[in-house]
Amino acid sequence: MTNTMLLSWATFLYFGAFVFYLFRLVFRKEFWGQGAFYTVIGGLGAHTLSMLLRWKESYALGFGHAPLSNFYESLIFFAWALILLYVIVEWRIKDRSLGVFVLPAAFLLLAFASLTPSISNRIQALVPALQSNWLTSHVVACFLGYAAFTVAFAIGIMYFLRNIPLFGFIPEGETLNELLYQHAVLGFVFLTLGIMTGSVWAHYAWGSYWSWDPKETWSLITWLIYAVMLHARYVRGWKGDRMAVLGVNYLPGLHSYLQS
Amino acid sequence: MTKQKNPCWSFFTSVYLTITLLALMVILSIVGTLIPQQDAARGFIQGISPGLASFLQTMQAFDVFHSVWFFLLMLLLCLNLIVCSLNRWPLTWKQFRGAPLAEEKGLFRGLTPERIFMCDEDVETMTGRMEVLLSRKYRKIIVNCEKEDAIIICGERGRYSRFAVYAVHVSLLLLIMGAFTGAFWGWEGYVNIGEGETADAIDLKGAEGTKKLPFTIRCDKFLVAFHENGAPKTFRSDLTFLQDGKTLFQGPLLMNHTISLEGVRVYQASYGSSPDGRASLAFSRGGGEEKIIKVGPGESFALPEKNGTVQIARIEEDLMKMGPAVKIIVHSGEGDVSCWVFQHIDKIREMSPGVTEQIPMFNPALFKPYIFVLKGIEERHYTGLQISSDPGAPLVAAAAVFMMMGLMGTFFASHRRIWIKIERAGEKTKISVAARTNKHRVVLDREVRQLTERIKISLEAGST
Ligand code: HEM
Repeated sequence: MTNTMLLSWATFLYFGAFVFYLFRLVFRKEFWGQGAFYTVIGGLGAHTLSMLLRWKESYALGFGHAPLSNFYESLIFFAWALILLYVIVEWRIKDRSLGVFVLPAAFLLLAFASLTPSISNRIQALVPALQSNWLTSHVVACFLGYAAFTVAFAIGIMYFLRNIPLFGFIPEGETLNELLYQHAVLGFVFLTLGIMTGSVWAHYAWGSYWSWDPKETWSLITWLIYAVMLHARYVRGWKGDRMAVLGVNYLPGLHSYLQS
Repeated sequence: MTKQKNPCWSFFTSVYLTITLLALMVILSIVGTLIPQQDAARGFIQGISPGLASFLQTMQAFDVFHSVWFFLLMLLLCLNLIVCSLNRWPLTWKQFRGAPLAEEKGLFRGLTPERIFMCDEDVETMTGRMEVLLSRKYRKIIVNCEKEDAIIICGERGRYSRFAVYAVHVSLLLLIMGAFTGAFWGWEGYVNIGEGETADAIDLKGAEGTKKLPFTIRCDKFLVAFHENGAPKTFRSDLTFLQDGKTLFQGPLLMNHTISLEGVRVYQASYGSSPDGRASLAFSRGGGEEKIIKVGPGESFALPEKNGTVQIARIEEDLMKMGPAVKIIVHSGEGDVSCWVFQHIDKIREMSPGVTEQIPMFNPALFKPYIFVLKGIEERHYTGLQISSDPGAPLVAAAAVFMMMGLMGTFFASHRRIWIKIERAGEKTKISVAARTNKHRVVLDREVRQLTERIKISLEAGST
């Protein structure tokens, strides 16, 4: 299977990029930073190609569905969204210090997906309940949201580490705050969209748009916590530590996903 | 507003209240995922002490999401939302309508040098040129002569985004209204309908009795198709909806594709097969030409050329683990002969040779010279339909659309204004650029930079 081959390449390249980002910090040469960025781009290319190939293969097998149907494929997409978001951020804010925190996450996600024996990487047929475009949009929106929350999480960690001398490369607190907020907002919008598309799917597949099952409830809890965060910041100007703590709160959502 | 003095009113304008309510809702939801709810709670209740169980019961901990607590929280949240929005409305309205010049004093104080230009042309010429430049990105342009020899042009964008946050909050009200409408006036239930049968009532969920439907449903056919690996590929019921003997609607029902009629939605939920299907029985005279006939239990048919009728006594899906079989009784002048006809007789003979000699009842050629073969038992499927009505769903859908639009407006749009002042300063004309936004400074700064860049180019071009 060529799609898994390409994916191994992507995993390898992400790991390489992580090492280069580390070198950049140790040797303080932008050369390494540039190398790391191009390596990430290469990895993203292989990753994208791998997903497209998998899509095509599913058609060749006669199932014909987007590669977003099971846990393995979701993890792969999650890592992809994370890297894509990271590339956009690095390109827009012209700061590479986030790389050391985000790339290991993507690398570990891919390694976890490929190496855990209980996670099957077979292309499977979809049972009728899952044959829905709403479900595909739901998965896409949720994982884009999780990717944004993961970046917010990484920024939250950076915020706590920024005063330790070893981490002198971290940008100043104000910049981090702004970035954290923007990613939380992005995640919030995608999470909202994810909950909505999920409800539409449930409406068509099960007959009720909301049934308070634990997965749904946890997504609502995550959503509510972010709503609290938005209000706290907007109205009372909460910043700094408390925001960073809230930035770390994406765990409940993810937890609920893994639980299912 | 005088109401602002009212302590009750100001209690509900507080965003601290919002935060508290949302936090309480988080806690309640967590309780709802930790303690098994509704039907799932039954086993849990048996495992804990009766005292605790009855305490939790009175606290409605086994149905948190339909409890008084939850209802109260929602009510308070709605009040909070309404009062808070009403309270802020006048301000927002003023900011929306506000004449762009009146408010901001000191707009042109402390500008950075990049935002100030000097040139030789007169004020009028420059006003025209600045208008053109500004209107490239800023639609609403107002020209204002403050005093002699000083003109201010104002351009505005994204003014409607001031309302976006209201859209978000109104959508929440809609959502809560929709959810309550559904909870009070909606219903949900199930019904199984065999192929060829009809149903006009369903069993309501949670053993709440039955409900009569506004129409009758007939299941004409049920089909299930499988993938090669055995996983189901599609379920499909061909249904006919009848009312007063007339056909309302006829068509297939598939999973993920519902039929909705008269405010009632019909879902393909499950399926099954019932054993009272029909057998497809073949017979021949001593291995000659085969005839196939379809018969149901209790039915009989006549054998040609010999006086005899075959009656189907039983149809079994799986007789003694030997697969499908039918029991036939042949009535003829020579008395009654009965035997079992298996579908997989060849396999049975292979497994236990001589079985048909030992047990004559298993010999399909007992009634000479005829040989019977069972070709298969037609399974009779039934379709499991879930039928529900939720009058709140359109409200919830509207809320979703509103909320998405509102969120886009709050997070990705902003109300930006740029002012250009053109005035006479001694021998020269002075141009200064000032700007304000309600959020997203970065976006505004970028736009101002683009504008000043253009002004610079325009001035350089003009002076040569
Ligand atoms: C689950 C419930 C709620 C959600 C999801 C929600 C959502 C939001 C969002 C997305 C914003 C924009 C924040 C920003 O721009 O950073 C906001 C602002 C705000 N919300 Fe809520 N809200 C909720 C409930 C409430 C309630 C009950 C109140 C009543 C007091 C309230 C009052 C406000 C206020 C005063 C603002 C600032 C408005 C402004 O831009 O001037 N919110 N809300």
